[in-house]
Amino acid sequence: MRNSMKVAKWEYKKNMKNKSFIISLLITPLIFIIFSSLPSFMDMFKSESDPVKVYIQDEMNMWESVEETLLSQGIEWEIQEAETDESGMKKIIKNTENTAYISFSKNLMEQGKLTVYTNEEIDKDFEKQVNVMVQPLRDLQIENLHLSQQEKDIINQGITIDAVSLSKDVGEVKGDPLKRLIPGVFAGIILFSIVMTGMMIFQSASNEKKEKVAEIVLSSVDSSELMQGKIIGYFALGITQVLAWILVIVPYFMWKSEFPILEYLLVPETILLVFIAVLGYLLFAAIFAGIGATFEDMDQTSNFQGIVFLLPWLPAVLYSPVISDPEGIIAQAGSYFPLTSPGVLIMRLSVLESWPWIEISISIIILLISIWLFMKLAGKIFKIGILMYGKNATPKEILKWLRY
Amino acid sequence: MSGPVLTVNQIGKSFKNKQIIKDISFEVNKGEIMAILGPNGAGKSTAIRSIMGILHPDEGTVKFHGHSTGSIPRHRIGYLPEERGLYKKVSIMDILLYFAELKDYPVKKAKERALAYLKKLGLEGKEKSSIEELSKGMGQKVQFIASIIHEPDLLILDEPFSGLDPVSQELIKSEIKELANKGTAILLSAHQMNVVEELCDRLLMIHRGQKVISGTMEEVKAQYANYKCVIRGNNEESIFARLPQVQRVEQSGELATLYLEANIQPSTWLKRLPEEIQIKELTVSRISLHEIFIDIATDKKILGEGEKSA
Repeated sequence: MRNSMKVAKWEYKKNMKNKSFIISLLITPLIFIIFSSLPSFMDMFKSESDPVKVYIQDEMNMWESVEETLLSQGIEWEIQEAETDESGMKKIIKNTENTAYISFSKNLMEQGKLTVYTNEEIDKDFEKQVNVMVQPLRDLQIENLHLSQQEKDIINQGITIDAVSLSKDVGEVKGDPLKRLIPGVFAGIILFSIVMTGMMIFQSASNEKKEKVAEIVLSSVDSSELMQGKIIGYFALGITQVLAWILVIVPYFMWKSEFPILEYLLVPETILLVFIAVLGYLLFAAIFAGIGATFEDMDQTSNFQGIVFLLPWLPAVLYSPVISDPEGIIAQAGSYFPLTSPGVLIMRLSVLESWPWIEISISIIILLISIWLFMKLAGKIFKIGILMYGKNATPKEILKWLRY
Repeated sequence: MSGPVLTVNQIGKSFKNKQIIKDISFEVNKGEIMAILGPNGAGKSTAIRSIMGILHPDEGTVKFHGHSTGSIPRHRIGYLPEERGLYKKVSIMDILLYFAELKDYPVKKAKERALAYLKKLGLEGKEKSSIEELSKGMGQKVQFIASIIHEPDLLILDEPFSGLDPVSQELIKSEIKELANKGTAILLSAHQMNVVEELCDRLLMIHRGQKVISGTMEEVKAQYANYKCVIRGNNEESIFARLPQVQRVEQSGELATLYLEANIQPSTWLKRLPEEIQIKELTVSRISLHEIFIDIATDKKILGEGEKSA
């Protein structure tokens, strides 16, 4: 194990000193931030459109309180008192671009209807901005009824519909869907990140063959220590990447929105989901290490080793059936099949309100046995493959090595 | 020189039912340079890889003295394999320190040794360069440093001179000698027989996986390096064939090489040469290690079968 840690440290250091890795480590979260803030950034450059000229007919003295709300929402119109009566104003509006006419008449309070006349050519946001007036007008409407404070509160409270469906387990009710979804997405990101860096094991083993350095290394450590070291080293790199993401993205997210993301993440469920992601990494890392050791010429993409790069994406194929029916037969089968198990389990557990613990336990046991088996097989392939210089191994050769 | 550091006893290895090496035994002593020779495909690298535990011999034992049986004291062995290279995009110092760390050698000492050896081998100031910035020969020197950075007790060098120019060969040769003088046991395989003759204390020559010659350099020369007589003149080959104590004749134009039997007194043999032989030039010398090697590699059998199996 000591030797494995030395190899792991080397692989970690080697990559952390590699400029392209550092750049990708920093650039990925930055790209996320740039893309997520792009819309508001673009707004900054949006050409300042002229404010809409709004003619107000304020018979009921309502404008003052409406304007207050509009300003609090950052809406600024150019306000002008109506010059003539309604029909005259309509004509003016019709012939002047970017203008509107609002009349706060007696009918408004009685009928609850406000007509806003606008020119054809008007700021496209104006329609949304007009809706902001609903709340202050409604408040005024209630005010005019001269109700008691309690009655006002009841009316203001309105009616909300809370759909509650009772699950089979007595007493258990559906709660906040984000409670499971956020740890699930987090574990999914971890799985994605460590499997992506895990793919670098493939390249590392292949390069060690290409650069003919494997035999020198194997004079100091044995092949299983070398393989373990690579798996641990690239796991650490993957986790470093996740940490870089967390350190950059989470504070940014917390700053930009008031969503309590940490409250959702710091729950026991996260531990199990991350554990499943780590198991997924170990499974694919074994495959990458084993197959990478059979592979010297990375340019020969047409050969079968290229297929291993597709294996981690298998759960993506099952995304739709699993999400639409997380307790269906496809979701269950996907949880038991080792190559799709980590991804499918994370997807299912992200959307299922009540976790099927028996299924989870069986899946994890299958996954653990598969990891043990894959590590053993990969070790056999790695041991012979890493020293076979000069050519890529054929599937027939690999099958033969497995029998040793 | 003192006791053995490594004892290889009757090791054998087969691949696909083909025996690659069989019944190979030898020892390497402290402060001694032992050569393992043989033509390409003779099984030298297989023997070396079996010692290093990279391959597992089917039969026989490999014993590292002073260490428990069955375990390979990897941290006390330096190894330069035949198929070798280094990480291309990493600095030389980082590579050397990594190999030292793998051998549990203190980093500070390794750094000092690395700088000293880089200077000694003409690579001063290159510690921050990467291998891809160096020439092939320079890379070979770094590989050599990597194999000795941790002051090994036993140094195994598989073809250490291949790809080196004569100047670099001399540098590495003198380093190997110096290491042996300091007590390192050295096992090397090489094709350059002149280097082996000059450098090694003992040798083992293998052919088709089996031992054909072994012993100290003096023993091998006394036992196997018979005399040969080279005559230049206008002579028929049949004249030489009739001569006594001649094992084989090779004639090319005016030049005839007569390979003489063992235990011959050259002066006595020369007296018996018939007068009709035209002699423009005549030299008598011992068969060189190089010729013994060629002889074995090409199955010419200059040596008697009895001598080979001795």
